[in-house]
Amino acid sequence: MEQVVKSYPTSTRPALDSVDVDIEKGEFVFLVGSSGSGKSTFLRLVLKEETPTSGRVHVAGKDLSSLSSWKVPALRRSIGCVFQDFRLLPNKTVFENVAFALEVIGKAQGTIAKVVPEVLDLVGLDGKAQRMPDELSGGEQQRVAVARAFVNRPMILLADEPTGNLDPQTSIGIMKLLDRINRTGTTVVMATHDSAIVDSMRRRVVELSQGKVVRDQSRGVYGYGA
Amino acid sequence: MRAQFVTSEILIGLRRNLTMTIAVIITTSVSLALVGSAMLMRSQVGLMKSYWYDKIEVSVFLCNHIVQSPNCKGVDVTPAQMEQISADLNNNPAVQKVYFESKEQAWKNFVIQFKNSPGIVKNTNPDALPESYRVKLKDPSKFAVVASAVQDEPGVEQVTDIRKTLDPFFKFLNGLRNGIFVIAIVMFIACALLIFNTIRVAAFSRRRETGIMRLVGASNLYIRLPFLLEGALAGSVGAAFACGFLVLAKVSFVDGVLAPSLTFTPFIGWPEVVGTFPWLFLFGILLSTASSFLAIQRHLRV
Repeated sequence: MEQVVKSYPTSTRPALDSVDVDIEKGEFVFLVGSSGSGKSTFLRLVLKEETPTSGRVHVAGKDLSSLSSWKVPALRRSIGCVFQDFRLLPNKTVFENVAFALEVIGKAQGTIAKVVPEVLDLVGLDGKAQRMPDELSGGEQQRVAVARAFVNRPMILLADEPTGNLDPQTSIGIMKLLDRINRTGTTVVMATHDSAIVDSMRRRVVELSQGKVVRDQSRGVYGYGA
Repeated sequence: MRAQFVTSEILIGLRRNLTMTIAVIITTSVSLALVGSAMLMRSQVGLMKSYWYDKIEVSVFLCNHIVQSPNCKGVDVTPAQMEQISADLNNNPAVQKVYFESKEQAWKNFVIQFKNSPGIVKNTNPDALPESYRVKLKDPSKFAVVASAVQDEPGVEQVTDIRKTLDPFFKFLNGLRNGIFVIAIVMFIACALLIFNTIRVAAFSRRRETGIMRLVGASNLYIRLPFLLEGALAGSVGAAFACGFLVLAKVSFVDGVLAPSLTFTPFIGWPEVVGTFPWLFLFGILLSTASSFLAIQRHLRV
């Protein structure tokens, strides 16, 4: 990200102001800051759900401002997404939820039958493939969401407060999972305000406040004075 | 796989709001049936025109002893007068061919024309029918030239232009056809709005799915396809019903009612009826996919 400014027309203050962040391939980055500090806007810019008011966003070597809209789907295939509210399809089983992400990008049935059990195994949900989402605990649902985000082996995994709805114990499980995914070479960018997690992981921390980067340290912790 | 996935999505979507789907199918089939009947009426008029214009254009009726018009005064036409009239017609540059219709032929045609009204036939004296020259013109619009040349000759009762007698009838049919077209267009608008809403409701009820599709990078076409095909399917089912309606109309109304009672003119056959089918499908599918496309446009912005 170079000098990115994003203004919403209804707001007097830009959501992101001259943000200049460089994230390397394979990094694990925490995006911290209070609500309204611009974390979610940051992630939406990477997905090209929003376009910056000025400045440029580069993802995987591509300049998103010059990326034509019909290439956006290809960009998003290289990015996986996890949200606080899971966003699972309640009328589909765990298997179908994960398979859906592959079906809609036109993957062959054979590939789906092979890859989905693998990824369910990876997130620790083997044996629960035929359950419906509302039969699972919050942590398990988030694992399904991670599986869906990761099943296409994206280069980047964006997580917007993935532990926001989970208790600390479950959150640690999810973090271990994200860490394992990071070790496969996937870049993980995680927005959070769960200080305990940030402190325990000791990874790079980018802190946003009122749309500005106020801190960027590797192996950082959540609060000041570390 | 893709096909199977898309088909299941479409069927789920159609089942999800079944009542709306039925409404869409009914309105499309009614409006398409109207369009189809208008098209058939057009070919019927065309058929009748070519049939009648081809046969005869101008009839020169000759005097007989019953006619009291100033030119005849109740006296039969003489052979000399007939020869003169025939020669004048044949020498006229606008005339292509002249047929003579004798009393016997006139009677035969009369009997055929009124075979369903035996009362009229019984009360008509074959002798009362006039002899006539039936004239085919090189250019049907040159009627006035030929008429003025012979109508004051002795022995001519009157000269009639077939187009003058048929035109009011054709005007009526054309007016009817235009009326049907107007109703069809109004129905089409209702239909488009209905499809628009149906698909919008479908898109709304599936917004969770489409949101995830966008997120994982499904192409726009892939996201839209189920909705478009859903519209197209409803449209083609409507078109199929409309075709069925036209077949029914041909069998029961044209073949069953019109043709037996109006024998003097030909009626449209199966080729014309079947010929409208592709158009109905085309209209139905175009209309429904276009309105589906518009309906989901703003739901699916990248």
